[in-house]
Amino acid sequence: MFNKVLIANRGEIAVRIIRACRELGMQTVAVFSEADRQALHVRYADEAYLLGPPPSRESYLLGEKIIDIALKSEAGGIHPGYGFLAERADFAQACLDAGLAFIGPKPSAIAAMGDKAVARSTVRRAGVPVVPGTEGEGSLGDEELLSLAPEIGFPLLIKATAGGGGKGMREVNSLEEMPALLHSARREAEASFGDGNVYLEKLLEGARHIEIQVLADAHGNVIHLGERECSLQRRHQKLLEETPSPFVGDDEELRQSMGALAVRAAQAVGYVNAGTIEFLVDKDKNYYFLEMNTRLQVEHPVTEMVTGVDIVKEQIRIARGRQMRYTQDDIFMNGWAIECRINAEDPYNNFLPSTGRITHSLLPTGPGVRVDTGVYPGFEISPYYDSLISKLIVWGETRAEAILRMRRSLEEYKIAGVRTNIPFHQNLMDSHRFMGGQYDTRFVEKRFSMEAAEEGKTDQSGIAAIIATLVAHQQTQRAAHIIQRGERDTSNWKWLSRWERLQR
Amino acid sequence: MNYVTTIGGREFVVEIVDERHIMVNGTLCEVDFDNVSDQPVFSLLLNGQSYESYVYSGDEGWEVLLHGSLYLAKVEDERERRLRASTGSRVADREEFHLRAPMPGLVVTVPVVEGEKIEKGDVLLILESMKMQNELRSPRSGKVSRVRVKPGDSVEQRQTLLSVV
Repeated sequence: MFNKVLIANRGEIAVRIIRACRELGMQTVAVFSEADRQALHVRYADEAYLLGPPPSRESYLLGEKIIDIALKSEAGGIHPGYGFLAERADFAQACLDAGLAFIGPKPSAIAAMGDKAVARSTVRRAGVPVVPGTEGEGSLGDEELLSLAPEIGFPLLIKATAGGGGKGMREVNSLEEMPALLHSARREAEASFGDGNVYLEKLLEGARHIEIQVLADAHGNVIHLGERECSLQRRHQKLLEETPSPFVGDDEELRQSMGALAVRAAQAVGYVNAGTIEFLVDKDKNYYFLEMNTRLQVEHPVTEMVTGVDIVKEQIRIARGRQMRYTQDDIFMNGWAIECRINAEDPYNNFLPSTGRITHSLLPTGPGVRVDTGVYPGFEISPYYDSLISKLIVWGETRAEAILRMRRSLEEYKIAGVRTNIPFHQNLMDSHRFMGGQYDTRFVEKRFSMEAAEEGKTDQSGIAAIIATLVAHQQTQRAAHIIQRGERDTSNWKWLSRWERLQR
Repeated sequence: MNYVTTIGGREFVVEIVDERHIMVNGTLCEVDFDNVSDQPVFSLLLNGQSYESYVYSGDEGWEVLLHGSLYLAKVEDERERRLRASTGSRVADREEFHLRAPMPGLVVTVPVVEGEKIEKGDVLLILESMKMQNELRSPRSGKVSRVRVKPGDSVEQRQTLLSVV
């Protein structure tokens, strides 16, 4: 049984895993790229080793090198986090071949679920309904996809076979625009996953994206930890998750039937460790299997907040061959949790990514607030990795309390140096449709705009005008002081140093 | 000193009386204004009411982010205001537009060619950064001139990519 874990990841998730290891009294090994020498995961780990230059292909995707470091540092297990190598069956197999525990599912389960086409045909055989599409057809060429498209019907989605997180995904409304979209989807899939294969899937309108967290140990126990509502997305990137789902609400029957189905889907591939079954749920509460994520999810903390289960610690426990600490009867959902993904992107400028050095960061704290982050003042947000700065998670006894607490926390959270989507989340918290739980996967794109959200809010133009004027005034005054040399009442040296500070 | 600050078409006349007092549209207010630890974060105490906001200097004035809303403020002192009144306002549509990279990244495609006529909102270039493909669109109609980059080029932030005349 291993007592040292190598974390093959970076950012907030690497920090999250290190924390779990620390609490379990286990040693940690970090790996990092040249861009991450000063990253928090490197600073927190017991040991840290350089992988290579900043691009992922030359650092965090170097499976062999990572296994080599694990062996040299005598780590017994590798936790892949999410993204990078997390859903690569070949990497999981290579870990096992090297005598290392892979803290995740068996390679066969990753392969079965990781290829989304195979996954869909597997669960369909187990009696789980799936969304219409070209599932299980293998890798099809453009001509075949174009001829199958009208059968599925428009609108439809092009999705990367090896994909996730909206990369390589395109929405198609007509056959005419499809060839160009196929081309760009393949290109993006190739760039992100090294695999340009895509498949088609019918786009369900008014659908919600609800997922079930499952945990399975090597002794045949499989349980689910309830659902997460992930419908708030932009360009298929999740922005906010909550649990319970306001759509499922008090419908315990729906929750348990989805949960039981998720457990069955996991059992269909002999699943072990933590995983997530994603469902699309239409307005009549029909649900379809979408895909299984064979890894720890970004949004796992909301489930931890309401169930009290530390999912990462359970993952490690399972990987060490122990039984889970819980049975299904131990799992209760207490209260409500919401997570906002804080990204380095400008909501006032078409959500363009923002890079730069974090110069100031004041984290929200206080009752019911959790922040998972990998950055701190002085850290550089580079263009090499995704734009997630942190995850702000709150817990409340009721959904209303959670929303009010999230509002309070977002206002407390101050980050300077890069633009963030905090104002987006603030507007979302004020939106009546969000408060009413009335949203689907198209809400952000179709019904929400930063301007519209601001209608009806207290107008603070007067205060903003005063602030802008005082900033402008301060600036003019300083400039005037520098120009009027003769009027100085302090030494030239003092003025020089003040002037230099201004120019920094 | 007198300032005229405009937000969303509304004008606010702000007079700096002394270190602790300002007149806003003729009303005297007590102020205590401070910059928080040298960051673009400012704290304002206005007649005892506490406000905190981010202030950035943007291309078109000051951007004030206050309680989750962004306000675009144009601050002019009396001299600037008179100067502008005498020269008249410029026509933005006649100006050349230089598309600059909003962030460092990799040029994926340039769907336009030099001399091509384009409409406002047309995609000028696709830039990949943070693993996302970002469409950069034209803020005005016109003709493409001087394409300075090609697909595959790495570009720095604020580097000029092409122009629209």
